[in-house]
Amino acid sequence: MSYLSTVDFTEDRAFVDRFRRTMRGDLDLAWLDAPRERVRCAPENPRRGLTFRDLDVGGYGYTEMPEIIRRNRSFAPRGAELPDGLPDLQAEVNRKSEVWAYNVEGYYEEAMSRQWNATTDIPWADLDRTELPEAIGKAYAQLLTFLTEVEMIATDVPAKWMGRLNADFFEVKNFIATQAMDEARHAEIFRKRALSTGWGLMRASAHNEFNLKFLRDADSFAEASLTLHLQAEGMVLTLFRFSEYISPTEGDKKLFRLVMQDEARHVGYGMQHLKWVLDHYPERREAIHRHLDEAENFVFGAGYATEVMEPFIILAGKGLKKENVAEGVRITSAFQLKQSEEYFERLAKCGLPERRERSRLWKMVSLAKQSAAAA
Amino acid sequence: MPVEFPSVAFFEALGREMRSERDRFSRLGFFDTTFGVRVLRDGAPPAEFLLAFEVFDCTAVRAGAPSGADFVLEGPLGAWREMLDAIHRLGAADTAHSINTLTHFGEGLRVRYDDPDGHDKLYRFAESIQEYFDLAARIDFRYPDGSQPPARDGLRARSAS
Repeated sequence: MSYLSTVDFTEDRAFVDRFRRTMRGDLDLAWLDAPRERVRCAPENPRRGLTFRDLDVGGYGYTEMPEIIRRNRSFAPRGAELPDGLPDLQAEVNRKSEVWAYNVEGYYEEAMSRQWNATTDIPWADLDRTELPEAIGKAYAQLLTFLTEVEMIATDVPAKWMGRLNADFFEVKNFIATQAMDEARHAEIFRKRALSTGWGLMRASAHNEFNLKFLRDADSFAEASLTLHLQAEGMVLTLFRFSEYISPTEGDKKLFRLVMQDEARHVGYGMQHLKWVLDHYPERREAIHRHLDEAENFVFGAGYATEVMEPFIILAGKGLKKENVAEGVRITSAFQLKQSEEYFERLAKCGLPERRERSRLWKMVSLAKQSAAAA
Repeated sequence: MPVEFPSVAFFEALGREMRSERDRFSRLGFFDTTFGVRVLRDGAPPAEFLLAFEVFDCTAVRAGAPSGADFVLEGPLGAWREMLDAIHRLGAADTAHSINTLTHFGEGLRVRYDDPDGHDKLYRFAESIQEYFDLAARIDFRYPDGSQPPARDGLRARSAS
C-alpha cells in the first residue's frame, strides 16, 4: 500500500462531528448551491438514442475543452464543480492534441452498438462438424496462434493508457475502454477457434513479440496510438480481410468479418487522431516520422516472420504441394503489397504524403514487387 | 411480380426486408454509411445506385452516379449475378461469394474509393453489408434477360471451396 491518507478520519474531530450532525438530520446542503451549468440534453435523433454528441454543450462538452487541461487534475467528471482539496492524480497526458480524434464520440457510440459475443455469435457447432485437411488445419492453427498473441498485447496497450489520461478526456477514455474489450474478445475468439480446429495452439513467434513489446513500451500515448491504431491495426485489418478471403468455411468467414469491423473502427480512430495531431500540433511531424522509422523496422520483422508468412502461403494455396505453394506465394505477395499500399494510403490521407518516399519498408516492398514481376 | 436486378426497386425491396429484420440489424449495431453499386453491362452504360444507411435502416436508394459515396462496389453483371445466384440458392453467400472475398483482390467485384477512411467503412460495417445483400435470398427478382436466380436448395452445404 503506497498511498496513505494524510488524515486519520476516525480521529479527526471536525469530520466526526460533521458525520454525527448529519446522522441526526442536521444537513449541510452546501453542495445544493454548487455553481454549475444546468442542462437538459436530449437525443437529436431518437432512433439513435442519447449520444455523447448530444451532451456536447458548454462546459460539459468537448468542443470547448482547451488544448491543455490545467484545472482538473482529479477524477472530477468534466463539468462538475471542483471544490478545493481535490487530489492531483498526476495524469501523464493532459494535452488534448495527444489523444483527441475527430469523431471520437461517434466511434465510441458505434463501438457500443456493434459489440458481439465470441461464445454465441459464431456457429461453433457447424465448425465442429468441419474437418480440415492436416496441412490446412495446422496452418490455420498457426495463424490463429499468431493472432491470439497479437490481440493479447492489443488489449494490454489501451488498458495501460486508460488510467494515465486526464479525466477530462472522457470520450477518449471510454473509446479505448471499448477497444480493450474488443481486443480481449479477439484474443478469446482466436484462442477458441485454435482449440476447436483439432490441432490447438502452434508456435509463438519471437519476431512478432519484439514488435509487440515495442508497441507496449511506447513512451507516449501519441506514439502508442500511431503504432497501434494506425500502423499495426491498419496492417492487421488488411490481414483480417485476407484471412476472410482464404477462410475455409462460412463460420470462419463470419469470424473474420466480425473482428475486421472492430479493427477498422480502431484504425478509424487512429487516422482521425493523427489528422488531429497534425492539424493542432504540427511541430510533432518529425517526431512522428522518427517513430515510424523504428516502428516499420519492427513491423517488417514481425509481419514477414516465418511463423506468419508460411501459414498464409499454405492457406492461400490450399495445400503443401509444390503447385499449391507456388500459388500461395503469388497470392500472399499480392496481399503484402496491398497491405503496405493501404498503410501508406492512410498516412497520406492523414497528412503524411511524404512517408512513402522516406520509408525503408516501402523500399523493401517495392523490391519484392520488382522481383515478383521479373520472376 | 418479380423486380429486376439491377434497379431501384430491387434495392428498395432489400431495404424492406431489412426493416422486417429489425432485431437482427439492431443486434449488429449502428450502420452509418452511404455506398454505391455499379453494375457494368456489355454495350450499355453502367447501372449506378447510391444506397444510404443510417442507424439500423436503409434510408435512401437512388439511381445515378454515386457521388459522395464512401465507396463503390463495382463489377460486371455476370459477377453480380453469380453472387446473387449463390445467395438465392443457398440462403446466404457461400465461401466464394462473400462481399469481402469477391472484392479483396478485385477478382469478382472491385471497391472504388477516393478516401481510405470511406473505404474502411466497407470493413467497419462488413457484417451488416453482407447480411443486407444476403436478404436477396428472400426476394423474387429477375435479371435483364428475363431469367431468374435458382430456387432455394436447402439441403446443400454452403461451402464452395
